[in-house]
Amino acid sequence: MADEREISQRYRELQREEPPHHLDQAILAAARRAAETRPAPLVVPTGRRRWYFPLAAAAVIVLAVAVTMHVEREQPDVEMAEAPVAASPPPAPQAREEQAAASAQVPTEPAPAKPETKRKLFAPDPKPAPSQDLRAQRDAESLADLQKAQKPAAPPPQDAVSGARESARADAGAKPFSEMQQAPAPVPQAKPAAPMREEVRARASRAPDAAPAAAGALGAFAYASPEQWLQGIDDLKRQNRHDEAEKQLTEFRKQYPNYRIPEAILEKFEKR
Amino acid sequence: MEAPDEELMLAYGRGDAGAFETLYKRHRGPVYRFVLRALKNRSTAEELFQEVWIRVIEARSRYAPQARFTTWLYTIAHNLLVDHWRKKGLSLVQLDDEPTVAAPDNPARQAEARQSLARLLQALEALPAAQREAFLLHEEAGLSVAEIAAATGTNEEAAKSRLRYAMAKLKAAVDDG
Repeated sequence: MADEREISQRYRELQREEPPHHLDQAILAAARRAAETRPAPLVVPTGRRRWYFPLAAAAVIVLAVAVTMHVEREQPDVEMAEAPVAASPPPAPQAREEQAAASAQVPTEPAPAKPETKRKLFAPDPKPAPSQDLRAQRDAESLADLQKAQKPAAPPPQDAVSGARESARADAGAKPFSEMQQAPAPVPQAKPAAPMREEVRARASRAPDAAPAAAGALGAFAYASPEQWLQGIDDLKRQNRHDEAEKQLTEFRKQYPNYRIPEAILEKFEKR
Repeated sequence: MEAPDEELMLAYGRGDAGAFETLYKRHRGPVYRFVLRALKNRSTAEELFQEVWIRVIEARSRYAPQARFTTWLYTIAHNLLVDHWRKKGLSLVQLDDEPTVAAPDNPARQAEARQSLARLLQALEALPAAQREAFLLHEEAGLSVAEIAAATGTNEEAAKSRLRYAMAKLKAAVDDG
């Protein structure tokens, strides 16, 4: 330990060299320069580039707000509501041919009407689409032709599709709801001597909306608007079929969640 | 009371150039002598000395006082010395185990050697690099054995052993006179 102290003392007696002055100046100048400059950003935006980021951010925000507002304002579309039915795959070509051939021949047994579902019966259809109107009009014209052609013969049986539509159109709002709901109208046996009628039927079966039309044409036309549907519910109430009326009202609210039922009608429901 | 080195370095990291100046004035002599006596070549020592401080300047923003500033500073110096020795084809083991060849005697040095201090200096130059470094860190930087071990990246036993050998050799050189 004493030896170490002696060596340390001797060492300190050695010449105390110092760094040269120019070296001090160079190092201190470098330190000052470094202290003055801040760390540079990763990307230095210059000129027009400096606006890119703010502009892009503003555009994204405006777009997001616009899309949100649009989605909020958008009402449920009629076409969208019917999409599952319309989007159902069309019959296979072979099946279609068979169907057409069967209808061209003498139909021994008409195809039974498809069982109706309430959903189809009360499909939200505040305004029938124009294409649907045209189709219905075409069917009606065909039916009129058919009726003309069959006048001498026995009273023509109504077609499963167009007949139902016609009667529904004629009775819309007039028939009591219960009658309309019990839609499975008996489809009379088709007569063989009616080529035009067969054509109409084939066309109807090929039409994309043939299934819902055949199944729930009556309801779809009878309650083409929420007001008519409410009228139907009112009819049920009037007939003391409260359970069914409640079900229909629940279904109505599901289908038209944004529809405000007039208080007068609600009061009428409650009274009954 | 003087501000601690660590605070000065942190202040410099925040842009206070005056803090660096204080720090530099405090350590410039010891660091310079440490490098000069470790290398025995003035121009190379000056280059390396400057490099040490440039490294300090560059590290200003990421400096975190995990140990004494002095230990950190001499760790930088040690690493630069090791790089220098590597470039010359020397390894740390060689520097530790094999005594370096003593500087060739010349008339002037022999004349100086007559004096005790000159003999001490000559003995210091003749020490293996690792032992000399341990001695210089102890004398110039005032580092403890543990700090020497930390600065040179070795364990305490090795640092203690190097320092003890260096002291013994220097004592022998002084006593020979």
